[in-house]
Amino acid sequence: MLPMQSAESPDPLRDPAAPPRSPSPVPERFTVSKGVLRLDRFMTYVILVGGIGIIAAVFGIFVFIGSVIWPLFQSPTLTPLRELPLATSGTTLVGLDERSELPYSYDGSADLHFHSASSNLSQPLGLEPGTQITFWRQDRLNDRILLGTQDGRVGFVDISFTAKQSSPTAPRSVTGSLKLAPWLTLNNPAPVESLDYASQGERKLFGAIVNAPEGPKLLVVGQRQKKGLMGAGKLEATPPEDLTPLLAGARPIRVLLPGTADAIVVQTQTNELLYLFRAPSGWEVRQQIKPFADIDTDITVMDFLYGDVSLVLGDSKGNVRILSLNVPPGSDRRLFAETQRLKPLDTPIRHFVASRRNKSFVVAGDTQCALCYATTGTVRSILELPYTVRSLCLDAKAEHLGIVDSNGTLHLNTVHDPHPEAGWRTFFGKIWYEGYSEPKWEWQSTGGTDDFEPKLSLVPLIIGSIKGTLYAMLFAVPIALLAAIYTSQFLSASVKRIVKPAMEIMASLPSVVLGFLAALWLAPLIETKVPSILLLVLSIPLSAMIAGSIWIRVPLHQRNRLPRGAEFWLLAPLMAALGYLAWLSGPALESLLFVANLPDGSQIADFRLWWPQFTGLPYDQRNCLVVGFMMGFAVIPVIFTIAEDALSNVPPALTSAAEALGASRWQVVRTVVLPIASAGIFSALMIGLGRAVGETMIVVMATGNTPVVDAAGRLLFGDPGLGGGLFPLADHWNIFSGMRTLSANIAVELPEAAQGSTHYRTLFLGAFALFLMTFVLNTAAELLRQRLREKFKIV
Amino acid sequence: MPPLPLHLQNSARPFIEVDHFDFWYGPKQVLHDIHLAFPENHITALIGPSGCGKTTLLRNLNRMNDLVDGIRHRGDIRLDGTSLYDPKVEVISLRKRVGMVFQKYNPFPKSIYENVIFSLRVAGRNDRRQLDEVVEKSLRQAALWDEVKDKLHESAFGLSGGQQQRLCIARAIANRPQVLLMDEPCAALDPIATLKIEELMTQLKDEFTIVIVTHNMEQARRVADLTAFFYLGKLIEYDETLSLFTQPSQIQTEAYISGRFS
Repeated sequence: MLPMQSAESPDPLRDPAAPPRSPSPVPERFTVSKGVLRLDRFMTYVILVGGIGIIAAVFGIFVFIGSVIWPLFQSPTLTPLRELPLATSGTTLVGLDERSELPYSYDGSADLHFHSASSNLSQPLGLEPGTQITFWRQDRLNDRILLGTQDGRVGFVDISFTAKQSSPTAPRSVTGSLKLAPWLTLNNPAPVESLDYASQGERKLFGAIVNAPEGPKLLVVGQRQKKGLMGAGKLEATPPEDLTPLLAGARPIRVLLPGTADAIVVQTQTNELLYLFRAPSGWEVRQQIKPFADIDTDITVMDFLYGDVSLVLGDSKGNVRILSLNVPPGSDRRLFAETQRLKPLDTPIRHFVASRRNKSFVVAGDTQCALCYATTGTVRSILELPYTVRSLCLDAKAEHLGIVDSNGTLHLNTVHDPHPEAGWRTFFGKIWYEGYSEPKWEWQSTGGTDDFEPKLSLVPLIIGSIKGTLYAMLFAVPIALLAAIYTSQFLSASVKRIVKPAMEIMASLPSVVLGFLAALWLAPLIETKVPSILLLVLSIPLSAMIAGSIWIRVPLHQRNRLPRGAEFWLLAPLMAALGYLAWLSGPALESLLFVANLPDGSQIADFRLWWPQFTGLPYDQRNCLVVGFMMGFAVIPVIFTIAEDALSNVPPALTSAAEALGASRWQVVRTVVLPIASAGIFSALMIGLGRAVGETMIVVMATGNTPVVDAAGRLLFGDPGLGGGLFPLADHWNIFSGMRTLSANIAVELPEAAQGSTHYRTLFLGAFALFLMTFVLNTAAELLRQRLREKFKIV
Repeated sequence: MPPLPLHLQNSARPFIEVDHFDFWYGPKQVLHDIHLAFPENHITALIGPSGCGKTTLLRNLNRMNDLVDGIRHRGDIRLDGTSLYDPKVEVISLRKRVGMVFQKYNPFPKSIYENVIFSLRVAGRNDRRQLDEVVEKSLRQAALWDEVKDKLHESAFGLSGGQQQRLCIARAIANRPQVLLMDEPCAALDPIATLKIEELMTQLKDEFTIVIVTHNMEQARRVADLTAFFYLGKLIEYDETLSLFTQPSQIQTEAYISGRFS
């Protein structure tokens, strides 16, 4: 190689004829040993792999959280499963068994038809000859068809299914059977036009409209089941009652009974609803409401949702509205109020079927079918159909939707909507839940009953997190920063050598210990001592001020005798004495200022009672004060240590320069040390903030973990108006109430959340929100810190 | 009464008197029986090898050594007749009388303007017009005005090393102290910047009593009226600069100024 190169570009300094100079050997002392090189290369790879690994792990967590959250925001899918011709025509009722293997249909005749994939099977209801069915409808909860006859009798037939499977691989065979219940007579032998049935334990009730010759009549007939030692006994009919007079002349056309069997909702021909209630004294009209009064259309569909608290109403213009029972403010009775309006459909609403699992329902017009969710008031999916809908049905698990077209063909669809209650509005918006008198942000993920409506607003949790952090920082930042300034700039070196390691030991206290102390020792201790604490908080700066003003009155030559940094020993006893005095005089302050009026007219000096009475906000034993104090205890050493380092690292050349220019010690701190250390102090605050936001154990133990506002205080003393209306979030910021933070919420609820459920995924969303909060906060802080560092950098 | 060098005893007033002053850092004695006076409106140079105590003495003149833990002294230092260690002396006001320029230029991370008026700000003087005047006057005296007058509100770190040191001098004289202490003010500067500062010092001595510590004997010879030679914490010789450098009376002085040790 070399000779060729030299031939092309001859080196003028070298004789071209001379052989290329061989390099002289490198002496051994200049060579690097192979071991060193190998280790160097090895460590380079280790560090590279480690660094990439960390980035990959962080992104992996991201991807995992994202994959868990993602399904929450997916739209439902409705996929056609199969079609089944039904042999019936006319007004048909269709129902599905558990796995939609044996749909059934009923058209008002004496027979009910089961439709398996291979055959149609008719089965008699068992009516006596001559019985003519004039009204039939499906029961909301069970495989049961309610029947009303031409001659004013009401009853129902129960459908049950038995599945047989000889071996796990063999096909299942499902057979249906019928059981007709005994008829009840309405005392008015007229044809039944509308009918509903409710059963509440031992009380059972039919409500019916009969078309009597003198006009339609609203009749109820009940049954009472005797209960004995041997279980449920015989049913005993109670005498029928005629409620027509309560209607005041309005013509009833549809009747609905909630599951409590103590009320009736009647739709009149004038599109009004009458809510009749059985009070102890007898039936009364509790509410009269016109749901579509503003647009004046006809109610075409009216039915209860799962839970029988909310009414879904559809009108002839495609509007769907939901009315819910709740106790409006200032009332003591549950009344219907409109809670949701759905996006209107293009066609008149003609059909409705509600899920028997949650607040989902399906409404359909002529060629449109919409899957909706009542809590959020959203239309989740709309199906445009190539046929005209004649009837709808859902199976018990709301997994299959059956649509019967005008030709009598049943179109079975698979419904896949695992998280109907999720959505931006659920997590961050106000929602008017069932039983609430107004829309609210609410977290209540689980309830005692099946028809419970999960309330998954993250807002109270985010507010709880911010609140806990805020109060902790409010407590910790002044103490930690002032302590750091004092320690680094004023305290003599010998005391500093003790203070700093002591604070660092404080940082190593496990938070579960702090939480335990807060919950079991501190909370009960300060519950009754709020005025004392108030005075104590005031006394500390006050004692420093008093000490300072005394100190400057001491003659100069006396002052100069005290060595620099030893002022502390003069201040400490004064502070302790004044603090003790403040603590002792708490009860005196309480009897002076915090006097509460008891309901019986007497007065008592108790801050715990005075606070809710004065502010209308509750007072909890485990409140923000306790959390702020204990979390502050966890945060103080973090902030102190880092801030103290930043302050101590200010170059002595600059502090000397300031001192040499005649600045006092405080002026040196204020004008030179603090600006230069500001970036470091800012980091300290941010790390402290991060600790407070993410802190879990202390808040789990030391707060009541109440994500909602406890209204007990208000109910006890009435609402003087400070909370609520003017400051809708005042409740959330009350220092004497508890809270639940995002982190505590995850710790408390994740173990009991079913994997893959909406609840589970929402907890992950909470984790993501927490992450986002700290991410945004830290990024903003870092930008600000860089600016500070740029501004006060020392070249 | 500590003496001035003979030739000045009738013409100048002793402004700072160091009276049999001993000084300890912890157990270590660093100054031994220092006894001398610095004349008003003269430049006095303190020279000597490293560790001879010249900087310690300088830092005692405005009690900057108070910042150090475990110090002890015996004897007295008087500023214009008042003892620095009088219990009635407020250290802060003492430092307003005695300005100081450090070895390494150390402007604050603030604007040039704010750097100059720092001593006025901490004294609570905020009258804008007065401050503007002080800034101009101080910077002119520090021979910096023409170079920075257009960027007074920019960061002081934008200046060169020599400019920064002159800024520190302007800062030190802004509040019109009586004494200016300079601790090797040119140690970190190049020869041109050094020359400028030396010119500056000769102008400033009309107004201030200047004490300068320097390692650079040429510098002492150029700027100082008087020179004191320290060795191992003791004052060996104190005389008019010219005679100290040309006719040293002590053998250590001669050895030092002729470069036989340093």
